[in-house]
Amino acid sequence: MGGVTSAVWVSLKVAAWATLVVFPLGVALGRVLARRSFPGRGAVETIIALPLVLPPTAVGYMLLVLLGRGGPLGEPALGFDLDLLFTWKGAALASGVMSLPLVARTARVAFEQVDPRLEAIGRTLGLKPWRVLTGITLPLARRGLLAAAVLGFSRALGEFGATVIVAGNIPGRTQTLALAIFSEIQAGRQDEATILLGITVVIAFAAIWTVEWLMRSGRVAV
Amino acid sequence: MIAGLELDLSLPLRRFTLKVSWHSRQRFLGVFGHSGAGKTSLLEVLAGLRRAGSGRITAGGSAWLDTQRGVDLPPELRGIGYVPQDALLFPHKDVMGNVRFGARRASPDAPAPAVEKVMEVLELEPLRDQDTGSLSGGERQRVALARALCSAPRWLLLDEPLGGLDPPLRRRILPYLLRVREEFGIPTIHVSHDATEVQMLCDEVLVLEQGQALACGPPAEVLTRPDLLPLARAEGFENVLRGTVTSLADGSATVTLASSGVSPGILVPAAGLVQGRRVLVSLRAEDIILAGSAPAGLSAQNVLPATVRQLHDTDGAVALAAALAPGLPPVIATLTHQAVSQLRLGPGSDVFLIFKAQACRVTTS
Repeated sequence: MGGVTSAVWVSLKVAAWATLVVFPLGVALGRVLARRSFPGRGAVETIIALPLVLPPTAVGYMLLVLLGRGGPLGEPALGFDLDLLFTWKGAALASGVMSLPLVARTARVAFEQVDPRLEAIGRTLGLKPWRVLTGITLPLARRGLLAAAVLGFSRALGEFGATVIVAGNIPGRTQTLALAIFSEIQAGRQDEATILLGITVVIAFAAIWTVEWLMRSGRVAV
Repeated sequence: MIAGLELDLSLPLRRFTLKVSWHSRQRFLGVFGHSGAGKTSLLEVLAGLRRAGSGRITAGGSAWLDTQRGVDLPPELRGIGYVPQDALLFPHKDVMGNVRFGARRASPDAPAPAVEKVMEVLELEPLRDQDTGSLSGGERQRVALARALCSAPRWLLLDEPLGGLDPPLRRRILPYLLRVREEFGIPTIHVSHDATEVQMLCDEVLVLEQGQALACGPPAEVLTRPDLLPLARAEGFENVLRGTVTSLADGSATVTLASSGVSPGILVPAAGLVQGRRVLVSLRAEDIILAGSAPAGLSAQNVLPATVRQLHDTDGAVALAAALAPGLPPVIATLTHQAVSQLRLGPGSDVFLIFKAQACRVTTS
């Protein structure tokens, strides 16, 4: 069962880091796309949406090329090793890239639902733009932003295709639950696969219930 | 606080270009016109929430906008309290949270009216912990007003503060606005399509129609101008008379109108009035009867001699402006063409204005 524990641990670590890095980025992107028009906006939207439509393995391969020895982010080009390929950090990067579109889109919708006139009122009351953001916009969008974080975390937790290419499938190091289920089925170990399935279901329920509880308990009021 | 507004603006809108040039030294200003006249757009430019095509705004000595010199002060630096038509309360805060939100700007050099004082004047204390979703229209307006007042504004910008309310509620909220005017004395720009409201609350009014300024001056003079009456009487013109309660008897009060000459007194319902109280009496133009000679045996208690100044044809009826006494704004009465010809009314005719005490509605702050 050591393999199961480590798969759970690697999964949570990878998904948590992916969310931590991608959430602020996705929120910032969502905010910009919700309110600003700028040249190249269409291009930004398309690039962010790509991971939604491309096969995950294709995205993983792109990252592999970028980070590989001949790529612009490889060791020879940078002069030092980012140490991402075939590590859990690489898995976090891959699953983060895959969940960014979901986070950015959900955040964008959350921001679009905030009445810009309420923000304008904040300005007339003497608040600088960043105080309007922290005092009005973020509190009003918090439900959608929380949903964005949970969606991003869940997407990262279930990521398979891009992760396996960037980080491999190394038990105890980069093997997440999704990868472990695949390995067990490939090896014909149905019982182990079923146990892993049960664990993923429990984690998924826990994530959903946490959000429900946060929203109901008033910690994140409507 | 220095009052005074200098405004020279050109603002392209969807259907027309708003062109306004308005210099006023009055403290309580009104912008009057039909919906779609460009009033709200003008107010948004004043608040810094909408870009002007070109022009200049100087308010109380500080330059808010000067497109030639590249000045465009952001809303947070204009020192304004803006109350939009739909109140726009923050849904994530309760009543007190909204009011306090305004108080954040207050600093030693820009002291705000105390939050408690504002809550008291607007009678919001009982609502302080309520969720904004549970408030009625009138309550929302009062909270929005309190929020603006607590932000230490040098100018209040009110966009149809009574616009979304039905007439009975409007009459209940109006006194709050009068009270704010008296208690805090903050220079105000009040946008409204209601001539009664403007007459009661403003010392100078700008009449706007299709983006053009038609007139400006004291409301009682401007809004009773025969050529502008059709604008002012969209929902039936109401005369607003200012006076003081001089006596009370048998359920009625005598209000003596402020005048430079002979001060006529009118009888009004006494409900809630005390002697010496300054009041505003509103009287609908349709509720006034004219007589060519002093009538006898009437139940109507107000029979006031007056002189006809002007007659103006509006569709289907005649609006007549009559002077009660020198120094008093004209009283407007509407009559049929038949009545005008039967009584042979014309400028200079001596008449009697007749109306019931019950037709007079009294507003106090």
